[in-house]
Amino acid sequence: MKYLNDLSIDDKKMVNSIAWRSLNAHCSRVGGQARQMAIGFLWQIMPALNRYYKDQPEKKRDALVRHVQFCNVSNPVYPLLAGIVASMEKENSEVEDFDTSSIVAIKAALMGPLAGIGDSFLFSVVRVIAASIGIGFALQGSVLGPIIFFLIYNSVTMGMRFGLAYAGFVSGRQFITTMYKNGTLAILTKCAGILGLIMVGAMTASTVKFSTAIVIPISGGDAVKLQSSLDSLFLGLVPILLTLGCKKMLDKRININYIMLGILVLSILMAVFHIV
Amino acid sequence: MLNIALLSALSYFICYAGNWLLGQNMADRPIVIGAVAGLLLGDLKQGLIIGATLEAVFMGSVNIGGQVSADYSAATVFAVAFATNTALAPSAAMTIAIPIGILMGFVTMGVNNVFLTVFATLMDKWAYEGNEKGLLIYLNFGVWFVKNVFFASVVFFGVYVGYSGVSVFVKSIPAVVMTGLTVCGQLLPAVGLALLMKMIWTKEIGIYYLLGFVIFMYLKLPIIVVAIFGIILVISIANRDFEMNRIKRQGLAVGSTNSNENDLEDFLQ
Repeated sequence: MKYLNDLSIDDKKMVNSIAWRSLNAHCSRVGGQARQMAIGFLWQIMPALNRYYKDQPEKKRDALVRHVQFCNVSNPVYPLLAGIVASMEKENSEVEDFDTSSIVAIKAALMGPLAGIGDSFLFSVVRVIAASIGIGFALQGSVLGPIIFFLIYNSVTMGMRFGLAYAGFVSGRQFITTMYKNGTLAILTKCAGILGLIMVGAMTASTVKFSTAIVIPISGGDAVKLQSSLDSLFLGLVPILLTLGCKKMLDKRININYIMLGILVLSILMAVFHIV
Repeated sequence: MLNIALLSALSYFICYAGNWLLGQNMADRPIVIGAVAGLLLGDLKQGLIIGATLEAVFMGSVNIGGQVSADYSAATVFAVAFATNTALAPSAAMTIAIPIGILMGFVTMGVNNVFLTVFATLMDKWAYEGNEKGLLIYLNFGVWFVKNVFFASVVFFGVYVGYSGVSVFVKSIPAVVMTGLTVCGQLLPAVGLALLMKMIWTKEIGIYYLLGFVIFMYLKLPIIVVAIFGIILVISIANRDFEMNRIKRQGLAVGSTNSNENDLEDFLQ
């Protein structure tokens, strides 16, 4: 990054502060579903607001109001958004007729794609790889298991925080609008999605388990075990259908709690009727 | 018993509240919280094994956008605490912990998504007044502290009330219900995975879900190897897409002088 040398010591201090503060961004979730991590975003962007609006209390207040609105991105990706917003707040503090609605607009436009890329990469790939290594050690009673898991995940995210905070601030909205314009953002979203779905598929195969005890008696022959017929049809047929069914229900905005209760009741009923 | 309940609540607070305080660092995952609870309750090895087992069970459950399919942290703490009860087998402790995790999920989700909404107007008011201390200290860290002390006390009372009775309770559960609970534990990850999938799914790429499923189910490859295959596949797809993109833009540049300035306007709308 050739621009990195152009940053002053104050700039670097501020960007580092944004990266560190992103750690606390998911703390309170105050405002519930309507605001999600808004306060966390404000907490992160404060070093920029304090610096640029030192002598402009009016503009600072507007910025506070602007940043208590709904915001939610995967935690380690937050510094990218905060870096971009910091560079825009800087412009706003210098230019008289800056259109502040563009700050809100860029936040709103980026939240979705960034959360999509961040969540699928971090939760479905990094976490799963770290966990599958850690589980192996922990099952043998080794304390290395949780430690390795924790270190792998967090060294990846800590690196992201600082890299993204600098990338966001140095290149500002230019960076992301170029990425949008030339289609890079769309490609990244698609690829993170593909990788995420492959991992979710593998996790479905490894964690959702079902086996029926139903035996179909055949007069004059050997009884047929239903499960072995199902297995020869398609391994893991019930788990994959159940998972896709749950997704369909979530798509239809059925409350997740009802879905879980439904599975609980269904499981007990299946046990009662000796299906499992 | 009081000690066990206190230490359980403490390990829940350290891991669950610590996870949210410091960058969603995954300390609330069963594999970590199981070890911490085991350490505090004096049986590290048991905690490690229970944690690892439940980590595999809850692999697909993550807390996304405030939706959580079950509170795996609470489930793990209860399982480790109950496993120290000599009258109860660790496997029974884990089975009983899963419905407890679902119940605890209701509590955390109720507070996070419903109750905390009452603060929305206060956030706006304090922002208009420029009350930075109120916003950043009280509403960020204050709410974090109060909310998590509340969650930890729910865990405390759960263990305190349940501990001595749990073995009697588990023995009184008909075998058939116990089987049902075990089956439920094996089916429940579907909900968490569906939640993960809903975030990512588009019609264009949906088919790759099946690819991951089949690779694991039929080839029995370790999950890391599946990840490596996936990464290689994705890099080659990205390369092709970038190439296509470049060709398309070159074509556009030749075909017309009209630039795509309007795209950005649409994007920001």
